[in-house]
Amino acid sequence: MTDRFADSERVGIGWLAKAWPLIWPPIATMIIVGVVWEVTTIALEIPSYFIPAPSKIWSAFWGNPSALMFHSGVTLLEAVSGLIIGSFLGALLGTGFAYSRLLTRGLLPFVIAANTIPVVAVAPIIILWFGHGIESKIVVTAFLSFFPLALNMMKGLQSYDRTVMDVFHVAAATPAQRFFKMRLPSALPFVFVGIKINVTFSVIGAIVAEFVQADKGLGFVIMTTYRTLNMPRLWAALIISAVIGLVFFAIVTAVERLTIPWHSSMRVEP
Amino acid sequence: MSSQPRDQADQVQSDAATACVALSNISVVYPGQEHHPAVQALAGFSLRVREQEFVSLIGPSGCGKSTLLRVVSDLIPPTEGIVEVNGRKPAEARLARDVGFVFQDAALLEWRRILENVSLPLELAEMSRMEREERSRQLIDLVGLKGFEAAWPRQLSGGMRQRAAIARALATKPRVLLMDEPFGALDQITRDRMNMELVTISEATRATVLFVTHSIREAVLLSDRVVVMSPRPGRILSVIDVGLPRPRSLATREDPNYMALIRLGAAELEKGYAGHDG
Repeated sequence: MTDRFADSERVGIGWLAKAWPLIWPPIATMIIVGVVWEVTTIALEIPSYFIPAPSKIWSAFWGNPSALMFHSGVTLLEAVSGLIIGSFLGALLGTGFAYSRLLTRGLLPFVIAANTIPVVAVAPIIILWFGHGIESKIVVTAFLSFFPLALNMMKGLQSYDRTVMDVFHVAAATPAQRFFKMRLPSALPFVFVGIKINVTFSVIGAIVAEFVQADKGLGFVIMTTYRTLNMPRLWAALIISAVIGLVFFAIVTAVERLTIPWHSSMRVEP
Repeated sequence: MSSQPRDQADQVQSDAATACVALSNISVVYPGQEHHPAVQALAGFSLRVREQEFVSLIGPSGCGKSTLLRVVSDLIPPTEGIVEVNGRKPAEARLARDVGFVFQDAALLEWRRILENVSLPLELAEMSRMEREERSRQLIDLVGLKGFEAAWPRQLSGGMRQRAAIARALATKPRVLLMDEPFGALDQITRDRMNMELVTISEATRATVLFVTHSIREAVLLSDRVVVMSPRPGRILSVIDVGLPRPRSLATREDPNYMALIRLGAAELEKGYAGHDG
């Protein structure tokens, strides 16, 4: 009687059939671009340091896959840790902003100002403070992830329905119940907007920090291969960083679907 | 059925022991802000509502009907006057979960399914999961939403959302049910059906109901008494005793007294406008 509204479609074998319309177009794009790229570089005899053919990039990757995977793992660790720490701290400050007008007035201008500083200018200072190891990269990434969550958390917590607040008041809800059962759920769609912005920022942040000073990570690979003009390997590193960002984004989207299936943005429409 | 001036109305219902909601000399002034002058929403409003009585408040927009419900439910304090709900202060009655409120907007939590929406007040009262689920299912049956327990609010029509809101307001078995134009946003056919169901629901729950509406038909059909209010600041123009037999049904609308009461109510409302203009 109630299965009409159950989420049976979410589980089961049917997921591949359902996901197929979403999977094949990007794969087709990839194949077409890859073939055109390969054929053009060979036909026009473009030197591989200028634009390497996909086959060259492929063999550059498989030439030493374990080393590239190691560097990717380092960057991934930095990006994920920074994202989590920065987002969490940003969410905390955003909560403070939502509850205290004084705090907002006192701090928000400086948070905005700090956010406009380019990350390439901040990274050397942070590396000076936290050393040239993995910690400083995490801090740079956290710094970038901080602002989007602080702002989105604040907006989200303030976006509750006033009549729903009245419902909670009449039902004698405690401040904690109001926060956890009303304001926080209302804020979740905003929180996911912030996290999705951070997913992109976190990979960029980690790589930029590695540019400044590092002995491992994809940023380190890109810098060293550029100096030796080993361009196919640089392209391989570049593509891996893009794939990391993409997979990361897909994971967050999946978590979002599971967490806020009720939200209007989750409606399954083409 | 008769129409009385307001000072007489107070005397008629002066038995304090049976008064469920007692309002004496209530005034509410919304303080002015920049570009907004202060607004007097209610002026010297007195009313006693007996236990299990169904009283409708009717009057022009902005006459303070909603303000009155907000005072009873402790959403705002009165500027002047004394309010008693079940012999207690509004805040005490609210904290005892003795007041239910149905707003014009269903105001369901869109992240909860219908069952969890209905059981929200019980959850806030920290009732056990088993108990609150059982009670919520009964209420969902009562308001005619059986089969929609697992639906998300956005999957339901306006009328169904409002049914869920009514079930939610009844969850803690409040002795006082406040309804602020609950069917105002519904189409006429749905509204007529909801009216008939509210007759059943209010007779089943035996709650005291204070019902705000713009529709004199709705007010007469549902109520024991209809309070006609003046334009702002809201005062009582007259109180109409609806002597129609209970239980009310579709047949009530065929009753010649029903039409007479509607004409009487409309005439009283009109007086308010005339007095206001003059």
